[in-house]
Amino acid sequence: MAELEPTLLEIIKDHAVGLTGEPSRETPIADLGIDSFSVVEIIYEVEEKLGVEVPFNANENPFGDMATVGDLIDALDKLIKK
Amino acid sequence: MGAVTPLGASVADFREGLFAGRCAIQKREYKADRFSLTVPVAPIDGLEARIKELSPQLMRADRFSQLAALAAEEAATQSGLEFNDALGARTACIIGTGIGGQSTFDNGYISMLCRERRPHPLTILKVIPNAAASHLTITYGVRGPSFAVSSACATGAHAIGVSAELIKSGAADVAFAGASEAILCYGALEAWKAMHILSDETCRPFSKNRKGLVIGEGAGVLVLEEESHAKKRGADILCRLAGFGMNADGKDMINPDVNGAAGAMSLALKDINISDPSRVYVNAHGTGTLLNDPTETKAIRSVFGDGADALAVSSTKSMHGHLLGAAGGIEAVTAILALREGVVPPTVNYDEPDPECDLDYVPNEAKERDIAVALSNSFAFGGLNAVTAFEKV
Repeated sequence: MAELEPTLLEIIKDHAVGLTGEPSRETPIADLGIDSFSVVEIIYEVEEKLGVEVPFNANENPFGDMATVGDLIDALDKLIKK
Repeated sequence: MGAVTPLGASVADFREGLFAGRCAIQKREYKADRFSLTVPVAPIDGLEARIKELSPQLMRADRFSQLAALAAEEAATQSGLEFNDALGARTACIIGTGIGGQSTFDNGYISMLCRERRPHPLTILKVIPNAAASHLTITYGVRGPSFAVSSACATGAHAIGVSAELIKSGAADVAFAGASEAILCYGALEAWKAMHILSDETCRPFSKNRKGLVIGEGAGVLVLEEESHAKKRGADILCRLAGFGMNADGKDMINPDVNGAAGAMSLALKDINISDPSRVYVNAHGTGTLLNDPTETKAIRSVFGDGADALAVSSTKSMHGHLLGAAGGIEAVTAILALREGVVPPTVNYDEPDPECDLDYVPNEAKERDIAVALSNSFAFGGLNAVTAFEKV
């Protein structure tokens, strides 16, 4: 996980259209301004940059109960390792 | 009214260009990977800062949605309406496009075929022809009847006419009505070029030396409002949409038909009493192609008879190019400007009379004329015709 975290954080930052300042694991997801487009874009970027296929279905909501950027990184990590 | 056009990216700038007889056509090179072509086009430059001010989702939308949003913003502001919860439920949004997100499609194919990469994940959400209409419903909280119209070069006129019918039916009190087009990219222009109907220099409607059409980009959006609804709130009513005619030739995908064009104009005029044809302005479809211009001329003659010689007829495509689906949107704005200001915009690049095109095309210079009725003709590939008619209130 440790080696993926900086990359995931960078991807999230690129698509956090409402973010001001640097995100960290503690940044609330609500502060990122992530919308329905961003979720699709983040998954795509993860797949392109890491060369993996994320088993994500846009009709489901695998990120539903997350509160912080750390939760999002962990959820992405779990999807990547599926 | 809202207009984002090659002549100007607001109604005021568009008006200035139209009445000055300015031609926005220029040759430009379009590239895609190792391919390129250079053709005359009518592009819009300098919109980057305004696009950055749009909502985060519109900033990532295809250009055709962005142009529609900019035009709608101007129209909404001018209307003075406050799109609150109650009005949102009674507002329709009919925004058409002839083709949709063509440059996004192009980029997807370039990505796949030239770079062996998947298309961008938002490709579908960007290319769907209803994207512009949907973005506007989100921006203004519109919850009434909303969809995209697509009828090639008649799209904008159909969108305006269908919106008026929805208001008349009682389905809505207010409507965003218009169309947008933004296909200036390598793949689309090669496809148009392959039809051999693009001019290789400029657009010269009704002139004997015309060589074809020139593609432009842009959007024209009106805010239509039920008359008593507008009067009750003391709105500044620009004009009345007094007539709308639509039909189909039912004959050929490419060749236009005199009877179809004349029929649509007659339907648009059926509730309008024309006592003096010299006070009628026809914003012609006037593509500058070999076949359209004499066919439209014959259609106008068949509708107006002896009165045809007194009409002022012009094709402003000679200045802003052919905006395809959006043509009926910005040309409705043009018709309304002529009606309200008593100035008929010219057909520029006109320098050789054609015996088959023998009306007053207002050659090269605008002229003052007190206009009582203004028509906007749109005749599409596929033989689908739509005509809007505007009167002073």
